[in-house]
Amino acid sequence: MTQSMDRPKHIGARILRSEDTRFLSGAARYIDDIRVPEMLHLKFVRSQIAHGRILEIDKSGLDDIGFPTQIFTGDDIGGLSIKAHQDVPEMQFSVQPLLARERVRFVGEPVAAVLADDAYLAEDAAEQVFVDYEPLPVVATMAQARDPDVPGLFENWRTNVFVERQMKGGDIAKARAEAAHIVTRTYSTQRQAGVPMEGRGVIAEFSPADRMLTVWSSTQIPHLLQTCIAEELGWPESHLRVIAPDVGGGFGVKGQVFVEEVLVAWLAVKIGRPVKWIEDRREHLTASIHARDHSHTLEAYVSADGRLLGLKADISVDVGAYSTFPFTAGGDPGMAAKVMPGPYDFQHYEATFRALATNKCPIGTYRGVGRPSAVFSQERLMDDIAKELGLDPIEFRLKNVVRQFPYKNALGFTYDPGSYAETLEKIRDLLAEDCAAAVASRSVPGKRIGVGIACFVEQTAHGTPDFTRRRVPIETGYIAAQVEMTPDGKAVVGIGLQSHGQGHETVMAQVAADALGISPSDVLVRHGDTATTPYSVGTWGSRGGALGGGAVHLAATRIADKLKAIAGHLLQADPGSIVLHDGEAYPEGNPDNAVKISKLARAALRNVDLLPEGMPPGLEAQYSLDGPGDGTYSNAVHAAVVEIDTSSGKMQLKRFVVVEDCGTILNPLIVDGQVRGGVVQGIGSAIFEHFIYDEECQPLTVTFADYLMPLAPEIPNIEVHHIETPTTRTPLGAKGLGEGGAIGPAAAIANAVADALQVDVASTPLNANAIWRLIARMREEA
Amino acid sequence: MIEITLEVNGKKRSLNVQPRRLLADVLRQEFNLSGVHIGCAQGACGCCTVHVDGSPRLSCLTFAAQCDNKTIRTVESVGGVYAEHPLQSAFRTEHGLQCGYCTPGFLMTLVPFVDAMVEEERMPDDEEIREAMSGNICRCTGYQGIVAAVRSAIGAGLERSAEK
Repeated sequence: MTQSMDRPKHIGARILRSEDTRFLSGAARYIDDIRVPEMLHLKFVRSQIAHGRILEIDKSGLDDIGFPTQIFTGDDIGGLSIKAHQDVPEMQFSVQPLLARERVRFVGEPVAAVLADDAYLAEDAAEQVFVDYEPLPVVATMAQARDPDVPGLFENWRTNVFVERQMKGGDIAKARAEAAHIVTRTYSTQRQAGVPMEGRGVIAEFSPADRMLTVWSSTQIPHLLQTCIAEELGWPESHLRVIAPDVGGGFGVKGQVFVEEVLVAWLAVKIGRPVKWIEDRREHLTASIHARDHSHTLEAYVSADGRLLGLKADISVDVGAYSTFPFTAGGDPGMAAKVMPGPYDFQHYEATFRALATNKCPIGTYRGVGRPSAVFSQERLMDDIAKELGLDPIEFRLKNVVRQFPYKNALGFTYDPGSYAETLEKIRDLLAEDCAAAVASRSVPGKRIGVGIACFVEQTAHGTPDFTRRRVPIETGYIAAQVEMTPDGKAVVGIGLQSHGQGHETVMAQVAADALGISPSDVLVRHGDTATTPYSVGTWGSRGGALGGGAVHLAATRIADKLKAIAGHLLQADPGSIVLHDGEAYPEGNPDNAVKISKLARAALRNVDLLPEGMPPGLEAQYSLDGPGDGTYSNAVHAAVVEIDTSSGKMQLKRFVVVEDCGTILNPLIVDGQVRGGVVQGIGSAIFEHFIYDEECQPLTVTFADYLMPLAPEIPNIEVHHIETPTTRTPLGAKGLGEGGAIGPAAAIANAVADALQVDVASTPLNANAIWRLIARMREEA
Repeated sequence: MIEITLEVNGKKRSLNVQPRRLLADVLRQEFNLSGVHIGCAQGACGCCTVHVDGSPRLSCLTFAAQCDNKTIRTVESVGGVYAEHPLQSAFRTEHGLQCGYCTPGFLMTLVPFVDAMVEEERMPDDEEIREAMSGNICRCTGYQGIVAAVRSAIGAGLERSAEK
């Protein structure tokens, strides 16, 4: 469905971001910058134990506190809850109450909401509320969760398995029978999270005059939040508006609907005053959502000549205490199972995957969703197989990657053309000197150099069939755009995305400007407000550029067609010959016979008498663009070079190189920024970030002093190279790219460490302790 | 309540504050300076960095009452509403920001660093630039654009002083 465009000049250009000025000047408006008259401030009383029965909530401390307060507990809100059920027989049913009722299931779970006129006072008041618990035995590990003798965390549960299912294609027994080599390994990736610099926050206001309930939330998914609140509260969606103001980072964390968001909306109606809740960092680190926490056992079947024949996977994810909306507890394990075949050509695959319930913070989406963990295991396995067979890791991959497109993989997903072999060949050339240095370092004591790569394919911008198959509340994945011109010839784009760093205001203006023949500076882009943008699923799943950009292009093209018809009429030329360029419309090859686009817009909206006979006035169009059924497949190779001082254990990341292919590049400034930012988050996954719980499921990492974010001095420059293989599956040839940067680093760095020390590496994070233990193992094995 | 006098972005004002109120909250609420962002309130992320008597300080770890008769500068005063300071321009051209939440803190940390380098007439290496921002966390950019912006702003400053 690729459409021709009139001389694209803005798409593909390195255009600076139009949104930057307000962020640089301090004029941006984030959730905590919004103040509504008469608003009350909310502070949560959160559970301090991981599992227990609530015996009593003592509110008497509020009686003589000296200022007005209100308190709400689970009993006050009845059965209101988040329902994130996967509609399959294997899924055990559970709900997450907005405030805990009878039982708490993780440290940080909201137990009571306390309101006062000022945030400081609300905090004072919350400290006066005492909750008495009867502790219950905790489910702290994946093994405990699978133990049938451990009581269920929810009523009527058999074991603490939310869901366990299978995916398969081909004949795994045949692959096993034909294999000359069988390589079995277990790999794990730790619990961490997206951790945006701005935490969550919600404000809700009910206006009795027009019966409108307005909810401001630091969310990536305003329309989904609107629907979820409306359904839970029984509120007409026509009278509900969700606004995501400037959002200080999301990375998938803010792509769920949280209990706090629904509760604040309910409270605003119940109390009749606006309510504001701003999360603090401790709450964010313990009680928003976490991510990863996977364990995979893989068994690869390989022929005598080093061809992959099949793969068997057993995937467990510790998803914590509750199923999250809308992707559910089954989201991460399901994604890992789906993507595990990766860029390799084999037709026999079988995966068993399960979501395990423990007394920890729930797991939700974070950049890559299941893929960083899957690629870690898959790409560590590729290196381990290559080592066992005595093959070079890059040559082994080149032998096995898909080269013929379209390619139907073992699960029946059809990959559109990519550059798997080309990216590998390019990385081989770029890393040749480092590989030689790594080999040389093995004969010199004290310092080891290692090179590791990760090769992956990423399904992006997938459409409705991919979601309906999952039978979870997400249901679809389309993005809509509305474009209208004003009588002065400028354009307003409403896009159903929410831009929280991706630069949508710039990119969508570039796309609209090319279709309309005007300057991007004459296009205003609105997003993040359900009252001013068309219904869409929001920003997640690497679809902003591919589907959002595609929807803007298609909607703007409809307006362009009308402009051309008007121009043809006014210039007495064939509308099909009209080009729109630099603010003017003229017949192709005859720029002297031009009419200004602003005059055409004015004709459509004001001087309607100038329109061709029978043409209705108006200059607006909307297009809702669903993703292709199987999505469109981006691909990349990441490479890491590490240097390890074997006497001190200090590891330095010397070099990180990306060769990536996201199809048509809409704005290289933004693409490179997304790749680099994602890679550094992946470096955090590989080396630094780890949510640690003790055996009672008490979180030990509750500040930035314990939970280590990557800082500038530890991070090298990220070298980014592009290969462009445009897809025919989206209107502009763009594939999704927002998440890819975060997918490869854990695997690439682990492979580099394994190469440096010549030992097996089975888990992340590769922090100082882990490296020290690996050096000890290297010495034992030597 | 304690009566204090603050000179904020060039304007002097006296006000009564509770002793426990954080400078960050007073600047955000009493002075409407929403460019002061709170990222952790634990002194670990640098989002809330402002200048107190010319030096970068974490306004989430500073009580307003400690700042009586002091001069405060926030990001709003750096380059005006059009963000025209050379470092702000360099953040734009080098893509030194994405979501923007950490950006004011980085600017307030790095403006004095850029000035000092120009004053000393030297271009620091990447290691030194990265060290200068080691108290600020950016989750979006991976820091590379910020490093490039600092380098570019120092370069422009050195050129300007060479012309003088």
